Amino acid sequence: MRIKFKLSRILWIAFVYLVLSIFALVYLTPFIRSFVASFMTWEQASRFPPEWIPSPFTFENYLKLFRLELFTRWILNSALYAGVIVVGNILFASMAGYAFARLRFPGRDALFSALLALLMIPVFVTIVPNYIIVYRLGLIDNIFGLALLSLVNVSSIFLMKQYYLSLPQEVFDAARLDGCGPIKAFFYIALPLGKPAIGAVAVYQFLGAWNAFLGPLVFLRSPENFTLPVGLSFAFQRSMWTEYTPIIAGSLVAAAPTILLFIVLNKYLIRGIVISAGKG
Amino acid sequence: MAKVVLKNVTKKFGKVVAVNRVNLEVKDGEFFVLLGPSGCGKSTTLRLIAGLEEPDEGEIWIGDRLVNNVDPVKRNVAMVFQSYALYPHMTVYQNIEFPLKMAGVPINERRKRVVEVARFLGIEDLLNRYPKQLSGGQQQRVAVARAIVRSPEVFLLDEPLSNLDAKLRVKMRFELRKLLHDKLGITTIYVTHDQVEAMTMADKIAVMNNGRVMQIGRPIDVFERPQNMFVAGFIGIPPMNFMVGTLIAKEDKLFLETGDVKIIVPDKYIDPLKPYVGRDIVMGIRPQDIIIDTRPSQGYYEAIVIGYEPLGLESYIHFSIGDNTDYVAVVKGRLNISLGEKIYWVFNKDRVFFFDKKTQQAIA
Repeated sequence: MRIKFKLSRILWIAFVYLVLSIFALVYLTPFIRSFVASFMTWEQASRFPPEWIPSPFTFENYLKLFRLELFTRWILNSALYAGVIVVGNILFASMAGYAFARLRFPGRDALFSALLALLMIPVFVTIVPNYIIVYRLGLIDNIFGLALLSLVNVSSIFLMKQYYLSLPQEVFDAARLDGCGPIKAFFYIALPLGKPAIGAVAVYQFLGAWNAFLGPLVFLRSPENFTLPVGLSFAFQRSMWTEYTPIIAGSLVAAAPTILLFIVLNKYLIRGIVISAGKG
Repeated sequence: MAKVVLKNVTKKFGKVVAVNRVNLEVKDGEFFVLLGPSGCGKSTTLRLIAGLEEPDEGEIWIGDRLVNNVDPVKRNVAMVFQSYALYPHMTVYQNIEFPLKMAGVPINERRKRVVEVARFLGIEDLLNRYPKQLSGGQQQRVAVARAIVRSPEVFLLDEPLSNLDAKLRVKMRFELRKLLHDKLGITTIYVTHDQVEAMTMADKIAVMNNGRVMQIGRPIDVFERPQNMFVAGFIGIPPMNFMVGTLIAKEDKLFLETGDVKIIVPDKYIDPLKPYVGRDIVMGIRPQDIIIDTRPSQGYYEAIVIGYEPLGLESYIHFSIGDNTDYVAVVKGRLNISLGEKIYWVFNKDRVFFFDKKTQQAIA
């Protein structure tokens, strides 16, 4: 009986690992392909059927990147763009989330539902009106003008709200009796207690902003203002064809901080998912 | 210090009436307990006094002030919550200091008072720790310290002992009463569902049910003279036995006809019960006032044993008198009986209660 149980358990584990390995392979293949191709000439990389071992092995794609005059500028632009968005989201989403979770005001739930409904609207629908607004503000081709559009994100507000709901009401009641109005309660109690959720918001927003392509492509015009993803595609796109291997190399360089961030901070990302799945 | 008065206070949550026209008067320096089952409105009443909820109707007075529209912090009340509600990101020192900091007390004065209160409660060694590094009893002391540090006029406690283990609860029960009542003399309103806490700590108890106050009185009053069946059944362990029956008169005696038996009504209750002859009434007998014998005796009633719970010093005997109701008697020590066996019982004639079955109010 015991042996039978053990055998079926081993078979089950083997099966689970097999399925997971297949999935891992499916997801990893493009990444491995990119990594290998970044050391190939474009001629070899574009061959079909694909080849997996670089021959000749070349650093040329990476060297091309670093020969680009604006490469560091683009990295700085991306960092600035992501930084502004992260700070904006931490500030505004934590405030809004706190208000929706803990303050009573007329129309609160209707307003929150309206905000959630915004999540259903595809970005392409709002991009033209947004463009007009930013244009009127005279902020086209400006990193800050672009960042303005993402200073606070509905999903960040949702995440913060869920987190504040998960904190005990009694702590906020105690703060009220101890002399905190809503604003003091936010700065002394909610904000410090919100660190785990704020961490999750920061990581998500950084990843989103760092990898953003469409927004920067539409709102930025001068090459010196480009973010890294737009800059790379601009640098290696010719009129008739695109030189993909340096773009691949550039993408890997660009992905490095996000991968690093994920490895270091993945507990925040997981916590973010757990918070969002909490009670509503 | 101040007295607290509630006049006709009502609080509704949607269609649910949580507190229904409650009238209370808590005297200056009194230890007042709100007692009742969960959902009876006692915590809401406390939150109304604290200012965490606003009443829909009625007046709340603290001292000479009508505080209906006064902000919680300006009511000069302090509260200890069931979960203690300590700020997890602050040290014990910062927790106790917090209300003073919010009140704008200068830092030197703050330090002096925090240390003073901590010493008073014997927690000065814990000042640099965080709440999660403390035991339940220590957390509770910190919560009390945070509440008394700003010298409130009224002290509110919402089931502060319910998160402690049984042994610690007994100890803290004694200490809290000694501290708040005997040493500080602050007007205290204490919410609990535990009648032992209420009986041992209170100067006065208000028993609540379904948002209403059922009876207010000294612990001994609510125990000895319950005004209705709810209070009679709620106070006392195990709960009072209620025998429902028809009151009949024969010659100059009254009998309660219930199940298979006719119980003779003690003489002293005959006069007040006369108007109820021919009607259904309820007789209440506390389990401690029932005497059990295993052999038939003069004046004893017959019953069948349906359960037996030996507790060591005493035993609970569950019995039936043929009316499908489980009655309980408490006897000293142990009894050698088995289920289904016949026993004989009688009650202490001076200690029975009668209630109107319809209104559930006490008759005599």
